[in-house]
Amino acid sequence: MSAFFRSREAMLIVMVISFLIVFIPYFFNVPALEEFSTTWITIAAIVNAFTLVLAVYSQFRRGIYFIRTGKRAWGFKLWMLIGIILMIIFATMGMEKGPYSWAMQAIITPLSSVNYGILAFYLSSTCARAFRARNLKAFALLVAGFIVLFYQAPLTGAIIPGIEPVARYFTETFAMAFARVFAISVTLGAIVFGIRVLLGKEPMVLGFTREER
Amino acid sequence: MSEERNIFRMLAEIDRRIIYLLLFIVVTVPILRPIAMPLAVSPDTKQYYKVLNSLGPDDTVLFVLDTEFSGYMEIQSGVLASARLIIEKGAKMAIACSHPEATGIPPMMFSYLRDVMEKYDYKYGEDYVVLGYIFPNEAAVASSAQDFHGVVKEDWRGRPIKGTFLDGIHDWKDWSLIAIFSTGVRSDAFIRHYGLRGTPMVINCIGVMIPTTKPYVDTGIFKALLPSMRGGAELEKLINAPGPGLAAMDCFTFGHYLVIFFIIIANIGYFGYVRRRAER
Amino acid sequence: MTPLDLIIAIVAAFLSMCMFSTLYGKSSPLYALAEESYIGFGTGLTVVVNVLYIYRTGILGIKAGNWVLILGIILGIMVLFRVHPKYDYIARLPIAIALGAGFALALRTTIFTGFLDQIRATIVPLFSGDAQTILYRWTIALCVIFMLTFFLYTIELKGPLKWSATIGEYMMYIAFGAIFAQTFMGRLALFVGTMQYLATPPWKKPILVASMVIVLALLIVLDKTGLLERWTPEE
Repeated sequence: MSAFFRSREAMLIVMVISFLIVFIPYFFNVPALEEFSTTWITIAAIVNAFTLVLAVYSQFRRGIYFIRTGKRAWGFKLWMLIGIILMIIFATMGMEKGPYSWAMQAIITPLSSVNYGILAFYLSSTCARAFRARNLKAFALLVAGFIVLFYQAPLTGAIIPGIEPVARYFTETFAMAFARVFAISVTLGAIVFGIRVLLGKEPMVLGFTREER
Repeated sequence: MSEERNIFRMLAEIDRRIIYLLLFIVVTVPILRPIAMPLAVSPDTKQYYKVLNSLGPDDTVLFVLDTEFSGYMEIQSGVLASARLIIEKGAKMAIACSHPEATGIPPMMFSYLRDVMEKYDYKYGEDYVVLGYIFPNEAAVASSAQDFHGVVKEDWRGRPIKGTFLDGIHDWKDWSLIAIFSTGVRSDAFIRHYGLRGTPMVINCIGVMIPTTKPYVDTGIFKALLPSMRGGAELEKLINAPGPGLAAMDCFTFGHYLVIFFIIIANIGYFGYVRRRAER
Repeated sequence: MTPLDLIIAIVAAFLSMCMFSTLYGKSSPLYALAEESYIGFGTGLTVVVNVLYIYRTGILGIKAGNWVLILGIILGIMVLFRVHPKYDYIARLPIAIALGAGFALALRTTIFTGFLDQIRATIVPLFSGDAQTILYRWTIALCVIFMLTFFLYTIELKGPLKWSATIGEYMMYIAFGAIFAQTFMGRLALFVGTMQYLATPPWKKPILVASMVIVLALLIVLDKTGLLERWTPEE
């Protein structure tokens, strides 16, 4: 039995079969096939949900290691582990009101938004450093960035309407064209990588070590 | 002359913490003391408004909160203004989340919109249902597009959805509109499994997604795009319902002008000090 | 405003300002407190919602008569063997199934959305429409062609190809400038939204200001007394 799980070829065949179960029914209107495909997709979704447990296990392992080895200020790691357990307990007490709702409002909600809000500061200092007319290319970057930044300030659009066509020209042509080029390149790369995985050229994805390859 | 060189050097090598502090101040002060500067409405927002305004009591909208809570702060004005407009048009709304953090948003939404819901007698079960976190991955989106009731049997409180207006929803064909409020968590999956099949969709996305989402508006997969917080503010102005978006526009103005100011002085410093030093 | 609302507002404002303390430029225990709080409670939240998903989709589905979903639960349990040093190979089967299904889900539509539709949208009539439409379409078409030329790495670029790649490069810099500005707007909106959340309703404003002052003062004091690094956890 273990030979089946250890066999690279067997796992590749399973992966290809799973791929075909989901891929082929999309292009043919056969209700029975579609129903089976939908159920298979749901099974895959449940498997994905279980993988979260692995992530939580890693967190616990790392945190306990920190505490056991007495690393500097290990109390913060202990607080992190307590937080995980507390949130699970709060959820069993009810998710509509009570401690679960308090934790959402006091901790998760504000910190989640601050986490991304900080990026505004990093971008602002990057703007000051990157938007310098060192050469012709940098000058092109500077001009386009300057005009779009100026237009994006709501007051500018209201008092200088003439800037809108210029800014929109930059965003709806150059920026959009680059987005298309980017989408095409990334899609091609993703398709090639996926085909490599299906053909067994990327065994690490399935968890095979270098020795087993 | 050496004093002039020091000023240029200071401008070229300005401490980034000064930029951080000033940005913090120019954003926080207008929030504490709003000014309410004028705002123009863009064609994107007008198109978005046109799509939502065409809804009626026979329409059913899948209102997807495809965002972590952090991203919700950016599209909050769009979410609230869109929900308000859908309620005013009498369309039915099923609210779904594709991120665990988004499950906290519906109570906030309905708390904010309580007055308009009472005014239009918008009732739970008859006019709207909150489905909760039903899109944890692409597989769930794909399954729901093919067999909605096979995937979703209960609302977010565990009550059966049988007997609500969702009885008429079987697959991707039955939705009048999918309104996605996205930070990019699962929006690609909706494009692939609903948009490509022809389900009408609109999107309110964060700023960084605009360049990559605009092509889909071009190709007709999205009927309209509401850009970031500014789009939400413009929509609030269009529907005459001032909210968090309009309140934030002062901060936008000052924040952008501050960055423009630093770009200008950085270039003055660059040409006055760094360039001259390199030439010497 | 109840006492509970007040406590929640104080905790939210204080932890948020602690998170912003990373902008000071040095690691601090205040930032560590905010970071570990977010990771701990956020992970707990994710566990809860995923368990609920497994229950609602899997267990309730099985109870409703869809016995095939038992396979999903069994495969999910097999995934957990990934952490066992001796039996980790058992997890390969569910991983293979999930990978195959995931790849198929993405591929069956990405070919259209990320590739064919993008190309189709670029190949449009270049001489119909008003002046603005014609200008936009020509610009987009030329940009896509020139930019794609820049990414050709498999052949030597010389002659017209080299010029095309150079023009494409300049066009990309213009695109980067516009995209960078849009990205800044997006991030600024996140920050503005955060501050709005902390300052609404109006009774929260003094709490926000007090938190800002207290955290800044603590940072400076800890820095001057040398306690900043001593109380910060190791990485």
